Amino acid sequence: MGERLSGDGVRGRRRAHPDGALSGPWDALDDAGLEMLLATALRGGHSDADAEQRAVAAFRVARDSGAHRARTRRRDDWRVREERRVGRPVKTTLGVLFASLTLGGVAVAAIGSAGSSSDNGDGRGDAHPSTVAPHRPRGESSQSSAGSGRPDHPATAQDAEAHCRAYEQVKSRGKALDSTAWHWLVSAAHGEDKVVAYCSEQLARATERSTPSHSAATDGTGNSDKDAAKTGEKSAKSDGSSQGSDGRGSTSGGQGGAGKGSGGKGK
Amino acid sequence: MGQRRQPRRVQAYDGELGAAVARAQDGDEAAFAVAYRIVQPGLLGYLRSLVGDDAEDVASDAWLEIARDLGRFKGDGAGFRGWTATIARHRALDHLRRQRVRPRSSALEQDLLDLPGPHATHDEAMESLSTERALELVRELPRDQAEAVLLRVVVGLDGPAAARVLGKRPGAVRTAAHRGLKRLAHRLGVEGAEDEGVTDEASRTLGESK
Repeated sequence: MGERLSGDGVRGRRRAHPDGALSGPWDALDDAGLEMLLATALRGGHSDADAEQRAVAAFRVARDSGAHRARTRRRDDWRVREERRVGRPVKTTLGVLFASLTLGGVAVAAIGSAGSSSDNGDGRGDAHPSTVAPHRPRGESSQSSAGSGRPDHPATAQDAEAHCRAYEQVKSRGKALDSTAWHWLVSAAHGEDKVVAYCSEQLARATERSTPSHSAATDGTGNSDKDAAKTGEKSAKSDGSSQGSDGRGSTSGGQGGAGKGSGGKGK
Repeated sequence: MGQRRQPRRVQAYDGELGAAVARAQDGDEAAFAVAYRIVQPGLLGYLRSLVGDDAEDVASDAWLEIARDLGRFKGDGAGFRGWTATIARHRALDHLRRQRVRPRSSALEQDLLDLPGPHATHDEAMESLSTERALELVRELPRDQAEAVLLRVVVGLDGPAAARVLGKRPGAVRTAAHRGLKRLAHRLGVEGAEDEGVTDEASRTLGESK
């Protein structure tokens, strides 16, 4: 045993009876002796061969049915902590990667509305707050970019477009949009059943808008839409790890946003 | 001191257990039986003080789950003790919930009269404690103390593992085990000396074991 359970507690108590009142058979009992005594008295007893056979039979059935290939849940992982960490880096890395993609996408969506090259600096500034708070409702992040966005092109339209594209993309693969984005859409469309109509309208408008204007904007939004779609798919998974690694997530998110933003500008 | 070494016997099989579990996870059913034989006595002792006579049934259920989920388990022999104890405990709590019987009010007279043989080999003047009497003493403890003592001493878990099984902080479990053992020692000591404050039945048992 790594640590003694009762230290000298038992003996200490016994010393409190110096009158020899404890001269019985238990007198020699210290904590280890007591543990031994209890273990001997309480452990098992008769072994039931039938019970063992039933357990082994259940084992056989599980093995042959492939149940033993089931995934390890958290409660099944009894490796000591250091060992457990060895298994993590891949997961953590992926989580951080997803987080940065996701957050990068959000940042790009925010920057994308700015469109012109002069906004690049602003875009960087905006990317940061939206990345450090991944759970912030989309509406807010759009407000932060609204300042740098073109006045004739409200950020909500941009957001709606991004969400709608994400929705379309995700829907076609039979997956569900993450709840934040979905709620956003439902409230924007004024009803769950109106989302489809709302989105087709939004996307049609977006196409109209992008056709006459410079192609940079289209590229920018196209980019951000893809990432927004990833947001929809991955945010459920990456939430845990992105919380755990806020610092890293936000850093790489910011970089991702800046990188993509300038890529859009280049065209 | 010779005594110091003794309680380790519960954990002495951890290496063997870990190897058996690993082989069982590769599909070796004989290895699974080995693991069963190493773990079952401790589980049964623990379950007995939780659910009394139904311990064997509950253990049986627990083993079905252990056999089914073995592939999910990750860890060594000591970890396997903890994992199986958690499963057994959940089964026991389910059982109690179904029965709506409070753990310590279930009958403990029957079936538990099998006294362990004399253990003079273990140490000096140490007398054997009957299973029945030991159970009774443990059941007199508050539930958290009883469980902490049992997981540490009977199942053979270390402090952190016992804490994980119970879903508590290691410090709390350590304290509970400490208090429980102290109380048990006190009861045994007091009884041994003056038969004070014990029930008739207890005195009789003690008389036998003296």
